Amino acid sequence: MSLDNLKNRNVGVQNYKMLDLGHTPETGWGKFKQVLKRSVKLELFVGLKVTMREMFKALFMGEMHTVKYPFEKLPISPRYRAIHEMKRLLESGHYRCIGCGLCEKICISNCIKMDTRYDENQRKEVSDYTINFGRCIFCGYCAEVCPELAIVHGGRYETASEQRASYSNFEDMLTPMDQLVNQKEYPGFGAPTPVADKNIKKTPLAY
Amino acid sequence: MDGYIIATVIKAILILAVISALAGFGTYIERKILAFMQRRLGPMHVGPFGVLQIAADGIKLFTKEDFIPSGANKIIFMVAPIITAATAFIALAAVPLLPEFTLFGVTVRPIVSDMNIGILFVIAMMGVGLYGPLLAGMAQENKWGIIGSARTAIQFLSYEVVTGLSLLAPIMMVGSLSLIDFNTYQAGGIAHWIVWTQPVAFVLFLISGFAETNRTPFDLLENEAEVISGYATEYSGMRWGMFFIGEYANMITIGFLASLVFLGGFNPLWIIPGGLAIILKVAFFFFLMLWVRAAWPHIRPDQLMWLCWKVLMPLAVINILITGLVMMA
Amino acid sequence: MSDNLITVTIDGIECKAKEGEYILNVARANDIFIPAICYLTRCSPTLACRICLVEADGKRVYSCNAKAKDGMDIVTQTEEILEERRAIMEVYDVNHPLQCGVCDQHGECELQNYTLELKVDSQHYAIADTKREHVNWSTVLHYDAALCIVCERCVTVCKDMIGDAAIKTGPRGGDKLDKELKDSMPKDAYAMWNKLQKSIIVPSNGTEHTNCSDCGECTAVCPVGALTERDFIYKANPWDLREVPSTCAHCSSACHLYYETRAESIDNPTEKIFRVKNEWNYQTLCGAGRFGYDYENTTAKKDPQALAKVAEAIKSAGTIKFNSMITNEEALMLQTLKEKFGVKLVNNEVKPFANFLSHYSKAAGQMLYKDSFADMSECDFIVSVGAKLRNDNPAARYLFNNIQKMNKGAGMYFHPVGDTLIPTFGKSVQTFEHKPGDEESALLLILDLFANKDKLPDDVKAKLDASKEKRTKTVTEKVMEEVTETVVDKETGEEKEVTKKVPKNVKKEVEYEANSLVEKLGGNPETFEDDFAKMMKKKESFALVVGEDFYFHPKAKNLANLIALIEESTEFKVAFIPPKSNALGVALICDLDEECEGSTVGYNEPADFTISALGNGDFDIPAMNQQEGTTTNMNKRLVPLNAALDYNGYELNDIMNALGLGKNLTVDWTESLPVEKGFQLAKFDDLPNGFRNDKTENRGYVLANLSVEKTGIEIEDIEDIALDGDIAYRCNPQRQFNDFTNKAHQIFEKFALYASKERAEQLGDFVKVEFENGALELSVEVDERITGDIVEIPDFKSDLDVYGLFGKDRYAKVTITKV
Repeated sequence: MSLDNLKNRNVGVQNYKMLDLGHTPETGWGKFKQVLKRSVKLELFVGLKVTMREMFKALFMGEMHTVKYPFEKLPISPRYRAIHEMKRLLESGHYRCIGCGLCEKICISNCIKMDTRYDENQRKEVSDYTINFGRCIFCGYCAEVCPELAIVHGGRYETASEQRASYSNFEDMLTPMDQLVNQKEYPGFGAPTPVADKNIKKTPLAY
Repeated sequence: MDGYIIATVIKAILILAVISALAGFGTYIERKILAFMQRRLGPMHVGPFGVLQIAADGIKLFTKEDFIPSGANKIIFMVAPIITAATAFIALAAVPLLPEFTLFGVTVRPIVSDMNIGILFVIAMMGVGLYGPLLAGMAQENKWGIIGSARTAIQFLSYEVVTGLSLLAPIMMVGSLSLIDFNTYQAGGIAHWIVWTQPVAFVLFLISGFAETNRTPFDLLENEAEVISGYATEYSGMRWGMFFIGEYANMITIGFLASLVFLGGFNPLWIIPGGLAIILKVAFFFFLMLWVRAAWPHIRPDQLMWLCWKVLMPLAVINILITGLVMMA
Repeated sequence: MSDNLITVTIDGIECKAKEGEYILNVARANDIFIPAICYLTRCSPTLACRICLVEADGKRVYSCNAKAKDGMDIVTQTEEILEERRAIMEVYDVNHPLQCGVCDQHGECELQNYTLELKVDSQHYAIADTKREHVNWSTVLHYDAALCIVCERCVTVCKDMIGDAAIKTGPRGGDKLDKELKDSMPKDAYAMWNKLQKSIIVPSNGTEHTNCSDCGECTAVCPVGALTERDFIYKANPWDLREVPSTCAHCSSACHLYYETRAESIDNPTEKIFRVKNEWNYQTLCGAGRFGYDYENTTAKKDPQALAKVAEAIKSAGTIKFNSMITNEEALMLQTLKEKFGVKLVNNEVKPFANFLSHYSKAAGQMLYKDSFADMSECDFIVSVGAKLRNDNPAARYLFNNIQKMNKGAGMYFHPVGDTLIPTFGKSVQTFEHKPGDEESALLLILDLFANKDKLPDDVKAKLDASKEKRTKTVTEKVMEEVTETVVDKETGEEKEVTKKVPKNVKKEVEYEANSLVEKLGGNPETFEDDFAKMMKKKESFALVVGEDFYFHPKAKNLANLIALIEESTEFKVAFIPPKSNALGVALICDLDEECEGSTVGYNEPADFTISALGNGDFDIPAMNQQEGTTTNMNKRLVPLNAALDYNGYELNDIMNALGLGKNLTVDWTESLPVEKGFQLAKFDDLPNGFRNDKTENRGYVLANLSVEKTGIEIEDIEDIALDGDIAYRCNPQRQFNDFTNKAHQIFEKFALYASKERAEQLGDFVKVEFENGALELSVEVDERITGDIVEIPDFKSDLDVYGLFGKDRYAKVTITKV
């Protein structure tokens, strides 16, 4: 390979479109003509016109772009990965988490910790669960690996805190019981794909 | 004589107070206008529509620690902003701001001093104003300050030439240096405005006025993209605020000069009384400066010099020549 | 079994194997993978899973029970076999709960692994499920029948290895399989499913609870999460646990194990042992090893003043008292202290053993017993003398049982305390409940039965001959007798004489050679000869296990000489059970004294100044799971212990440093262990700790058995020293060995007087036991497996000084009164 090949950094598909920028004048006369053209032909004033037009649009046609952020919030994508939420089962209100520990295992920043125990009903109970949001990088693996769609990402993206480590506990992340009717499924990482039904092989049943 | 001194002092204090307040208010207007032109809201939270933002800024600037960097030349560093602010206000001394009016039976002439060399004084004072940024930049021990002051020197000195030459033609026509005489000269209504006889001089004056006040597209002295903050790099708090007030006072001065010299001054306009007329005219120029800032980009220093010496200065000279020829004919 | 090596080809790879070895084991030894669920390396094939199917010389066989033959060509994977295996895995997955996330086995589950390995991605079979409950089988065992795949590994290991046979398969009550399936699905999968659908695991005593030694080996071998330790349920996932290979410190078998540790909880980040795992294919753990892991010393911290104080105490001490819960390194440090400061070293547990060893080595001309327990697993006749097998050493007990089950072996068990479990190990097990003190007679009987008479000294021969006498016994024989009857013909009315042969039992006096030794030992001399002949059928190799009773015997010297004689004149492989955990190491390293002198410093023993790992002494040292070091086990092997938990205080080596005798690290002492006693110059960090695929133990190193000057075997006359009256026997309950097992929260055996059911009823709930030099007040516990009147008194609490009460014997005459 020659050096020229290395120097050609225009890799990829070469379908650039050249803009009609005219040519740069080279003689003094040419430059003078360009100055004249730009000032006398009022090219300069196009800029003024544009800014004035935008101001009118903003003031009188309701096209102001500003979102008054803390008071107004833009809707975010349902796939956005912000502070985690713990979902509940709709029928019983019991938390969905079964304490399998997969989120703890897959977490690449090691910020999830969980304690489980054998409870009085012979079930696995999550006795303690924390996420250290100071370490969490919101990669979404926990939501993706969760077999019960229990841990998901929510839309709460305001994560500023006063300390570097910021632990949340299980109760804070769980859907409050009185909000259970409003609980929404998370369509992002870890949710079944729209074609999931097609990809599943059905298991025979003997009932 | 005593009454004259007292009146002058009162006038000076009033002008100082009103213009500095206006300068402060100007920053609010600038932010608002720029925001609207970019379809934003601008300051909104301090006071209704954010008008008290300036108060918040003022409190901030006043209460900031007044410190002098270790490498700076202390005295010059401290004096430089005062030069800028002072010259800006001194220049206003020879500018008639409003038409005469009567208050409590006393006829008030709203000019501190109607000297016969008024326009020269104003230009001279604005020229002295260059010492502010020049010394400020050189008093600091950093390269951006130095570059800022170098740019100050070339930009202000160069455009001083264009300002002077562009005003020479109207002066020749009026035959006086007093700004009151300019006003009187144009008393006959819109048709008598000098702008119609001296359009080239008007455009040249306006362009150089942008350069003199260090406004976009000629704000090379403190162009953040190139020299951090230029001459003001190491300034903060009220000292930096003084540069700011000086700049806005200068903007107002240029607005007054342009209205007085070219646009009929404070002569009544149709039904509009003279006082309101000049305020509207100054307001238009102020708005124009903001508008231009919103619309146009900076230019390079070399383009600035090219424009000054190769385009504007020759045009101004030709303009004087033609004016002279016409007057002689 | 012969040692002839044969060659078989597995998947094109030539493998050398012993004749008669199972194909699966040959493959494993050569790192060839054959899937198998139900097979356990050291147990008999169960044939429950059928997944280890291979093709040998074109025929389908199960590799776990097909023996390799010379020149065999074995293919482990054909399309048919893969289809069969896949079908088997599919059947295992039918109705298996899918909440893997909740299961404790999740992550190390063989059902998961093989389902993935055999690429089961869809299910073709279905059957209605049966409701199956979880139950707690005992204080430590939990069985979740819903998860059980009935591979019967637990049943097999409990029967073939542990010997409790506490669980079996019971009826499941599931639906019958559809007949059509028999033709449509693979044959073996159908057969497996048919069996699976009928059975479930239940305790074999018919109750809801297992009556066993709570060793937990069934939980270890369970491939799924069906059998778990109650304490561990849902506590931690296997992948969170840090695996520390180490060695159990509780008894002298020093089994290999893994401590599995993790931060205790979110709130408490200190490392804690969550459970113990073992290489169950190669190493069986007992209940103490599996459940007695949390004895760490948590109170220790570094206090230089305390260190100065303990150094001062040692300098001014006359005696250091210690026991066998000590590493070789620490023992060497104590020996160094003895050499430098002249302190006496007193160890009640080890001293008699050390004496016994020295008597033996003088008689036999070698420092240690000839063989090790590891060599005995191939034997088919095992004799145990002087050991309360069930309590003293679980590994020896497992060996005794395993020989019966795996090698169609026979066994003889001599012990004064009757035991109902030992006879259940096999059909050819004879137990002799002799009187305490008659141990010499047991050895004489062994000499009589097995010795090459030419090698015996004359006096012994004379003694043996003297014990024989001619006696007569009545035997019943079947004799055919001619009987003549008069029969009336019904048709003709004629009378006719008919002669026919009729069997008849005839009693007959037979003269036989009675052995008075058998009688003395509690056997029946009339039947013994025939029984013994049966036991000896097809037996090739013999093992003799010698236990703690012998070391604490008034005639220990004579016993040692007799054992040397047995070794010389018979084909027995002989091995001793060192009395407590590192007794062998201490006996070799330390030069022990008999009596205390001056002020005492106790090392895990109560004394004037106590250095203890229990957290209650005057100065803290690390417990055995918190320190590095080595221990010497009954296989004469030096094995490494690794620190599983953090320790914040001083070690013995720090005290040594304070005295100016220390080394940088405790493990720097490992290479200084005495070479003249058989140790090697090996560094601690170079010691391996694991097993190889071909079952070989790759842990530490085996001590050299050096020869010593032989002074010859002297056999004394046997005196009758048998004890009469109320007899107490110093013996710990199963799973209890020392203060440390007692500290563990999953070991519940109490410090109490253990007696047979009848004896306990006589004694009542609470008794006072009076010894010659003291008394104990104890509650009475029933041990259903004891027979006879002798009561057992534990010694695992060092502060009660049970050794002092018993003196130099394991049996003591006591007066027991109700309180």
